Amino acid sequence: MYEAFAVAIVVFLTVGGQELLGFSMLGRPIVIGPLVGLLLGDVKTGLMIGASLETIFMGIVNIGGASAAEPGLASALAVAFAIMMHGGLGVALPLAIPLGIIGLQIKTLIYVAVVGPFASKFDSMAEKGNQKGIVRLHFGLWTLQWFLYSLIPFFAMLFGSEATQKVLKMIPNIIVHGLTVAGNVLPAVGMAMLMKILWDKNISAFYFLGFLIVAYLKMPLIAVAVMGTIIAILVAQRDYQLHGLEGKVSAKPVASATTNNETKDEQENDDFFS
Amino acid sequence: MSKLSKNMSKDEKKLMRQMYWRSFTLYSAVTPAKQGASGFEYSMLPFINKFYKKEEDKKEAMIRQMSYFNTNLAMAPFVMGVTASMEKQNSESDDFNAESINAIKTSLMGPLAGIGDSIFWGVLRVIAAGIAISLAKNGNIAAPIIFLLLFNIPVQLVRWYGGQLGYTLGSNYIGELYEKGLINILTKAASIVGLMMVGAMTSNMVKFDLKWNMVVGGKTILRSQQMLNQIFIGILPLSITLLCFWLLKKKNVSINWLILGTIVISILLALVGVV
Repeated sequence: MYEAFAVAIVVFLTVGGQELLGFSMLGRPIVIGPLVGLLLGDVKTGLMIGASLETIFMGIVNIGGASAAEPGLASALAVAFAIMMHGGLGVALPLAIPLGIIGLQIKTLIYVAVVGPFASKFDSMAEKGNQKGIVRLHFGLWTLQWFLYSLIPFFAMLFGSEATQKVLKMIPNIIVHGLTVAGNVLPAVGMAMLMKILWDKNISAFYFLGFLIVAYLKMPLIAVAVMGTIIAILVAQRDYQLHGLEGKVSAKPVASATTNNETKDEQENDDFFS
Repeated sequence: MSKLSKNMSKDEKKLMRQMYWRSFTLYSAVTPAKQGASGFEYSMLPFINKFYKKEEDKKEAMIRQMSYFNTNLAMAPFVMGVTASMEKQNSESDDFNAESINAIKTSLMGPLAGIGDSIFWGVLRVIAAGIAISLAKNGNIAAPIIFLLLFNIPVQLVRWYGGQLGYTLGSNYIGELYEKGLINILTKAASIVGLMMVGAMTSNMVKFDLKWNMVVGGKTILRSQQMLNQIFIGILPLSITLLCFWLLKKKNVSINWLILGTIVISILLALVGVV
């Protein structure tokens, strides 16, 4: 029972904690390993396995919400099982990889199905100016999300490693798969909301340009940003020139509306040749 | 570096500190549809309350700041600083184009996410982890602490000074542009970068592949995804995004329904084996 609590609290405070203390890397194997070791009375094993798992999970990062596994839960459970069964990396490794993948799926499930629907609740609170509500929901969702997530290591520890593997196989694959698909499609809603902000008929072509160069030229986002900036600078320069012309035109006394266009054209010619 | 905060009033320095602490929680309630919107709002609330006097203006600013936000966490305070300085200018003048705030914010987050992810995830973390792993393998108990310090000291410096830099830059340059009437040009330019990034992110982040194949007599005669790719790569994610956009803008469908609909349809499609 103590072990179950200890591991669950470690997962809550590190994997959850790094969402509260953003970008602090608390949930990496190299941190979790020794921490679990400390609580279960074998820091050395924890440290060793933590370091090995860090090497393995090194490539797994969480960029833009996309990832291949959740290393935190995997490390906590793998280290705990290894210490309790007095095994080393040999016990930890075969457990860590599937646990990491399943951990990510459950994390995604909570993220999509539990936290996801609250996005519109935040909007309606903002519309009502309900600041307290927003703050409460902001932290409430964090607590709920990571409490739910910490139940997994708690029960996994309570029932042991064999039972854990059996239960993991029971979740209908098709539901997990469907939610994974949903998780991949849902950014579309976010993109649509951004488009609602930015969309303007005159510049809408750039949306498709952005899509095209990633889909076909496989350009990394940073290159798209640079390219976009170059285009934006060119457009802004042209606009700035037009702005200057308009300023000159409006500064001149204009006789009548009909001659207005003419003046503009003349002005343009003047500038062109000067 | 202390020059950055030289021109700030005592109140502004306090706001900067609040922003620094609050922005830690950017992704505490991260949702698939709006990512760190609630965390961004939470970080902006002190500014909104300080700058706006009328309740109506506060609400408008709150709605504005609850929009989709996703960037690298170390870079977020910089964007927040710029956004906050624009909210300040918006509160001080009557004809400030409030839409430019979101345009600038959106155009900043994409490039900064790219820069931040590659510097902090790709370089700094790998260096920190590499050093810590070798220490740990030699049995050094301090390894995790050294890992955290090596990573977090640079990140926190960037977060702290980035916020102030953003606020100062925003106050100086955006204010000047505004006075000259050039903010519309900047907004348009920023919107171009923003839209291009959104297009790129659509291609990068929205994934939807068909698994359905037509099999006749044990032979696969048609692979639907392959066929679609020949027509146009990413035609389905693009269509889905445009459909969502159309439903949001023209049909005023609430985000709630869009999210729920996406989840239900995805599961149904998975059940029938199309995806």
